Amino acid sequence: MAELNDITNEFIRQEIAEFIERPNERERIINLFARARAKMQAIAAALIDGDNDLVNQLTKESLDEGIEALEVMDDGLIAGMGIVGIKFRQNLIFVPEVLACARAMKAGMAHIEPILSAAGIKPIGKVVMGTVKGDLHDIGKNLCIMMLRGSGFEVIDLGVDTSADKFMQAVEENQVHLMGMSALLTTTMPNMGKTIEAFIDADLRDQVKIMVGGAPVTQEFADEMGADGYGKDAMACVALAKRLMGVESR
Amino acid sequence: MVAAMTSRQRVLAALRREPVDRTPACNPTSVATVELMDLAGAPFPDANRQPELMARLAATGHTELGFDTIMPVFSIIQESSALGCKIQWEQKDNWPTVKMREPIWEKHEDIRIPDDFLKHPDTQCVLQAIKILRKEFGDEVAIIGKTMGPWSLGYHCFGVEPFLLLSLDDPGKTKLCLDKLKEATIQFGLAQIEAGADALTLPDHATGDLVSGEYYARYLRDLHIEFAERLPAPLILHICGRTVDRMEYIAQTGMAAFHYDSKNQPAESMGIVKNRISLVGNINNPETLYSKGPEEVRLEVYKNLDAGVQLVGPECAIPLQTRIDNLKEIPKAIKDWYQEHTTQN
Repeated sequence: MAELNDITNEFIRQEIAEFIERPNERERIINLFARARAKMQAIAAALIDGDNDLVNQLTKESLDEGIEALEVMDDGLIAGMGIVGIKFRQNLIFVPEVLACARAMKAGMAHIEPILSAAGIKPIGKVVMGTVKGDLHDIGKNLCIMMLRGSGFEVIDLGVDTSADKFMQAVEENQVHLMGMSALLTTTMPNMGKTIEAFIDADLRDQVKIMVGGAPVTQEFADEMGADGYGKDAMACVALAKRLMGVESR
Repeated sequence: MVAAMTSRQRVLAALRREPVDRTPACNPTSVATVELMDLAGAPFPDANRQPELMARLAATGHTELGFDTIMPVFSIIQESSALGCKIQWEQKDNWPTVKMREPIWEKHEDIRIPDDFLKHPDTQCVLQAIKILRKEFGDEVAIIGKTMGPWSLGYHCFGVEPFLLLSLDDPGKTKLCLDKLKEATIQFGLAQIEAGADALTLPDHATGDLVSGEYYARYLRDLHIEFAERLPAPLILHICGRTVDRMEYIAQTGMAAFHYDSKNQPAESMGIVKNRISLVGNINNPETLYSKGPEEVRLEVYKNLDAGVQLVGPECAIPLQTRIDNLKEIPKAIKDWYQEHTTQN
């Protein structure tokens, strides 16, 4: 088992020491960074710091040096985002800080995605995502999509104000077995339940697992609507998607 | 023992934290439902754009549901429309929304409050509806207006994501934006008071789900103090989500009340604000008012009354498909609680 001091990057060591409290998470993260190259640790540190210019530069440099795109993504970008997610869950940082980290991740992924796509690496699953009818908010949904893509899922983004018909059409046309709905408003949350009812009425419910999330949504509300799962945040969304698809990490 | 009060007297006294004959049932945000739209013959979207329909639908909050307040501003988009934002007006079963993916401004230099801001049909609609209601209900019922705070207007005019990123990247420019946008808040607020509003809800969505309590203190506390000084009517600040980490700051603003969410416990919240500001709330919308029955509503009303919350009502604008039986239960439960406690004493 690795020790905190096995991690060479001081910023990452401080982040773990200060913010990662759960023993199992701490152990996993220390092990992950202890085996990661110094450059990957630097990418993660820049991402946690929300420095998109530095992430852009370090990602490009790493790929130019011949480091595999998957390694940069997993050990640099996603590893960094893992710490961001934990800090967000613990209310140590809030949405503006997460958006800055997401912007940094996007800067790195802009170099990585074309390489993965050209290499023909198969996604671990396909997901349809959208914000429900009447709701034009998409920050939470977009963070989930970014983390899902970063975790190896192919995502069909239906955007905001998505009707039940549009969800059903996307699921059928793309032969997708997993779908996520988001709502920010208590006034639009009921449209999640209506969408699930529309899937039942159209005899499509059994073809797709449905996950829901959004600031006012709770596990209880998700259960009452008949959803298959609820994710509190983007990290939980990825874990739920993997569980519902029966897949493990790449 | 306090002598019997009119609804208006009751609400205004509770906003001042003075003795009341009973706690008022208050809706600082919308209680419009599809059922009430049918009853009043005033459906969305027209009830958001035509003063007579807006007033008629709003009145049902008092005449049908029994609330002590009437709140005609069902949405949060009236002034954003007047500022130039694109609006999706929707239909009867859905809320009008600002198209925040199509922001109208990128930087603080772009901000301009139009000269005809208060003459725009969507701000005028609110002002005319308040006048109609004042004339119809006289001094019987408290009429509550609504003027959006600069943080919420920032989301609408810049887009949520760009505005939140700006707040992190450049606090100085963010403050300049807020300072310019506050004039819209003041202008619309003053106009509603002049039209006859007894109090104003001031939503400013620095919610616990988006930003920290420290953010509230950094960007909004001083502005909210300024609103309390410049707007000569009781102000009800509305912020959704978990907000106990900023209630101490909110209690310092001089506003009359804070409309708080069910993510905060009544007793815990009362303990923080310590009688410096009234609390209004916090019956849960999605899980209770929308999904459950009158018994569950009653339990939440009692929990607020037991904690000493000054005005009781839904935590936020209610889902349009909410059953009116659940809404009627709020004033009914308040009366029953008082009867039980009077009998016990």
